[in-house]
Amino acid sequence: MILDPRVPAGNPSTAWARRTSQYRLVSPANRRRMTVIVVGTGLAGSGAAAALGELGYNVECFTFHDAPRRAHSVAAQGGINAARARKVDGDSLARFVIDTIKGGDFRGREADVVRLASESVRVIDHLQAIGAPFAREYGGQLATRSFGGVQVSRTYYTRGQTGQQLQVAAAQALLRQVARGTVNLHTRTEMLDLVVADGRAQGIVSRNLVTGEVDFTPAHAVVLATGGYGSVYFHSTLAMNSNATATWRAHRRGALFASPSFVQFHPTALPVSSKWQSKTTLMSESLRNDGRIWVPERPGDNRAPGDIPEEERDYYLERRYPAFGNLTPRDIASRAARDEIEAGRGVGPLRNSVYLDFRDAIARLGRDTIEERYGNLFDMYLDVTGEDPYTQPMRIAPGAHFTMGGLWSDYDQMTTIPGLFVGGEAGHNYHGANRLGANSLLSACVDGWFTLPLSVPNYLAALVGSEPIDLDAPEAVQAMREVEARVQRLSTNDGTVRPVEFHRRLGEVLYQGVGVSRTDAGLREAREKVVALREEFWRDVRVAGPADRLNQELEKAGRVADFLELAELMVLDALDRTESCGAHYREEYALPDGEAARDDEKWCNVSAWETTADGAHIRHLEELTFDLVPLAVRNYR
Amino acid sequence: MTAAVERPAATRHRPSTFALKQVMAITGVVFVAFTFIHMYGNLKVYWGRQALDGYATWLREVGYPLLPYKSVLWALRITLLVSLVAHVWAAVALWLRGRAARGKHRRRAMPRSMAWGARTMLPGGVWILIFVVVHLLDLTVGLIVAPESWAAQGPDGLIPAYDNLVASFSRPLMAAYYTFTMFVIAFHIWHGWRTLLQDWGITGRRIRVVWATIGALIALAIVLGNAAIPLLVLTGVIA
Amino acid sequence: MRVEIEVWRQDSPEADGRFETHVVEDATPEMSLLELLDRLNDQLAEGGVEPIQFESDCREGACGACGVTVNDTPHGPVPQTPSCRQHLRAFGPGRGGSPNLDSGSSASANLDLGSLLKLRIEPLRSAAFPVVRDLVVDRSSLDRLIQAGGHVDVTTGTAPDADDLLIGHDDAELALDFAACIGCGACVAACPNGAAHLFAGAKLAHLALLPHGKLERTRRAGAVVDQLDGEFGPCSSYGECVEVCPAGIPLTAVAAVHREKLRAAFRR
Repeated sequence: MILDPRVPAGNPSTAWARRTSQYRLVSPANRRRMTVIVVGTGLAGSGAAAALGELGYNVECFTFHDAPRRAHSVAAQGGINAARARKVDGDSLARFVIDTIKGGDFRGREADVVRLASESVRVIDHLQAIGAPFAREYGGQLATRSFGGVQVSRTYYTRGQTGQQLQVAAAQALLRQVARGTVNLHTRTEMLDLVVADGRAQGIVSRNLVTGEVDFTPAHAVVLATGGYGSVYFHSTLAMNSNATATWRAHRRGALFASPSFVQFHPTALPVSSKWQSKTTLMSESLRNDGRIWVPERPGDNRAPGDIPEEERDYYLERRYPAFGNLTPRDIASRAARDEIEAGRGVGPLRNSVYLDFRDAIARLGRDTIEERYGNLFDMYLDVTGEDPYTQPMRIAPGAHFTMGGLWSDYDQMTTIPGLFVGGEAGHNYHGANRLGANSLLSACVDGWFTLPLSVPNYLAALVGSEPIDLDAPEAVQAMREVEARVQRLSTNDGTVRPVEFHRRLGEVLYQGVGVSRTDAGLREAREKVVALREEFWRDVRVAGPADRLNQELEKAGRVADFLELAELMVLDALDRTESCGAHYREEYALPDGEAARDDEKWCNVSAWETTADGAHIRHLEELTFDLVPLAVRNYR
Repeated sequence: MTAAVERPAATRHRPSTFALKQVMAITGVVFVAFTFIHMYGNLKVYWGRQALDGYATWLREVGYPLLPYKSVLWALRITLLVSLVAHVWAAVALWLRGRAARGKHRRRAMPRSMAWGARTMLPGGVWILIFVVVHLLDLTVGLIVAPESWAAQGPDGLIPAYDNLVASFSRPLMAAYYTFTMFVIAFHIWHGWRTLLQDWGITGRRIRVVWATIGALIALAIVLGNAAIPLLVLTGVIA
Repeated sequence: MRVEIEVWRQDSPEADGRFETHVVEDATPEMSLLELLDRLNDQLAEGGVEPIQFESDCREGACGACGVTVNDTPHGPVPQTPSCRQHLRAFGPGRGGSPNLDSGSSASANLDLGSLLKLRIEPLRSAAFPVVRDLVVDRSSLDRLIQAGGHVDVTTGTAPDADDLLIGHDDAELALDFAACIGCGACVAACPNGAAHLFAGAKLAHLALLPHGKLERTRRAGAVVDQLDGEFGPCSSYGECVEVCPAGIPLTAVAAVHREKLRAAFRR
């Protein structure tokens, strides 16, 4: 099947304005009779729920957290891009589109990126107004900084906690609607299934995590803003509770899943240093401005870094990429680090990292300068590892970070199930095969505040006058029965192994097989291992404790079960896509210089997968066309 | 919004906690002012019997004949009594609210000077309350704890404040009690004054430093001015 | 390294809680407090005991989900640090758990690895935070404060150009100092009076510094302080909230509560 994204025909630059002027509307009197479910309270979810509530719709909002503010948008550090182009540094809306499309290696949808750029302007205005204290110049104007992959300064920020400030502001706006009674917020409640009836999304089945009660909530439309699935890798920069259950359950109900194998690995994550480490912490990319990355020349060198003489160190990035040196793009730096670690030259107790050394920079610039530039990052490193980066090199390793893939949606953010919409990292359309820094907060905000509140009502307009589905509709009863059976099966399975152990093992398989670089053989092996692990999971998982009260083992078990299904699709997608593009690097498809070799003849498209009831996977395609940015080989040299 | 745990709707306190804190603050300032002026009057003791007795007598006559005899004194006494009742009532009400809000699980204190100041407010306050009673019986009313030689009026027609004071402080226990209590009062004022910053919403960094310093100086003055008297009586400097 | 953990177990909000003692034999100085609990849970599961329920999410100190009381101190012995960033290497041996603050220079060397570290771990304690299970508490009372007035009344799409609203650099930075609050609730748990003035004050001070937030200061102050009165205790300037606050919110936030309320009282 060839998918139609329903992008307005004609000039993509004006597509959004034309589309919004054609959207159907719902009169204010009818809005409160229309119920919209929003799952997730991150930047996309809070925004959509608050904006739809403000418009007068009856919103049911769900989060598994105890408070809306805790959604993982809160952890983003760097900033949020906006094509406001106030400075005379050559920025413009067109430049933003070019940077984002190119950064995504021509696998994102151009018209959507134009919308992202044009709505970015008022995203900053709105977030400022609802309480995000953006950094200011002494003259009182908004301050900006530059970020990786671009040559202009368009990133707005609030110290190193931009995500936190935006998230808190959005959660406040959401709670304002809760106070007004337009949004009914269900905290500590997890979506476990989507109810599709008459070919439309008509509600969700959720489980109250405190009482264990399974409930059906009917609605005219459902918005999923449940984030990415990077935590499938176990060790990732994502939060402990981030999961793919909502999107995966929607997928199993018929929503196609786009580009599951497109995962960004961040080169300056901190390595796993012990079995008990629960996650990987992210360090800012800016460290690579002054740090030199190296490994010992001899594999298995056990000496302390200070004892390894200069001539026995391999500054491999400087050697292999003399022009860019330590500042190569994220995907290249990540791949190079993986090459060294694979060759046995990794350092640290588990030999899974490379050195990022500031010795020369401190000698050249003095400790004070380094402290001024990176003091807070050095403190954070010390805090996490207990090692002092002023006296011994940092150890870094690529870590799973952001998933470009997600539920496939059309230009209106609607998935292949009518009435099911998607926003933020749960979707797929903007970032192609690689996301630019500071674009993820933006895409979540644009979806939440300025796309879904326009496109969801357009869908609802056709349903005015209809009641939501009955609580005892057969589809709802069936879905509830299935959820209850699944919970029952997990909590009574006669196994011996904790769910977290399966997650850990799945992460190892995925880092190995579908990590920063992939091969045909490695992917085939990974697929076998994932399938075997899944079978073992259902045979041997053990969930301690009852299902009728707070039980984090049970929550985890359900999430890992879904990860084990999703993982197979990720591997399959990576195997299927016989090209390299952006973060998806297949070793068989490389240019002579090691760069990703795209195959625009065959793969200038988006793979959107269907999983049938019996578990078979079918790939559909959406063809991509580029009118504003001519197809070209990405070149950062 | 769903709360994980069902509980009764929030209780609305009357009067509000904010109002009680303001009562504490305003009456507290009344007491600081009183204590400071009282201390200033006590300094007359260094000028001898005549000065102190004259001052004590004047306190009863001030405003006369325009105002009735002792009327200013009684006005002050009533103000102080009302303030005292309000201060103690607010303190007890707040303490009860704090206990209820803390819940049933107690936690050991953290070693921090400010918290120590706060922790001693309640026992310190009780101590001071008892002291007020003892002090009035001792030197104003002349009952129970008063020295045997206590007199309401001296041979010269003045209030014999100086002799009463010397007689009382010649008893080492009483002198020690007074001296110690002055430290308690100073401590109470020190923390109370600092709390005013919070209760009156003073957020400026510099004014907070200045304010806290003023409080510390007032507390210090009260200790130095008052606590010295019993010691000087005991050592025979004042006799 | 051996760690003896006395941990609070409570089956449900209504149930009585109790302490249970467990020993983790293979703890390492690099472990964070929460990783120690992860390890303990693995051990418990192996022995057929139900794992201890505790909350955490980002484990980087941004989300505010984690928070347990360790040896009588909310979050743990290292001041102004969330539970997820408290590492065993910074804990002194013995029950006091006195923090070793200069964990800087080769931290693990400071720790006597042969010694037994004793930790007593319990939930954040306050009447406003009823226990849900084990170490998990219900902090929705904080969200009800935000609902009452901790927001800005601007409808989506109606905001003026943010560059046209000039905000001084220092005002923006000051607003950020207060906006840094992560909503963990440790301030309430630290307060001997169960007060939430630091949390509420941080929000009031943050919004009062911004052009849109300023416009509804009067209404906001009344609503938030009323809500504060209803669910939390009075502030007696103990200052313990500041000691445990992972976001470094200053004590002036408490003054800001009263400043805003007094300002509102005289404006009505």
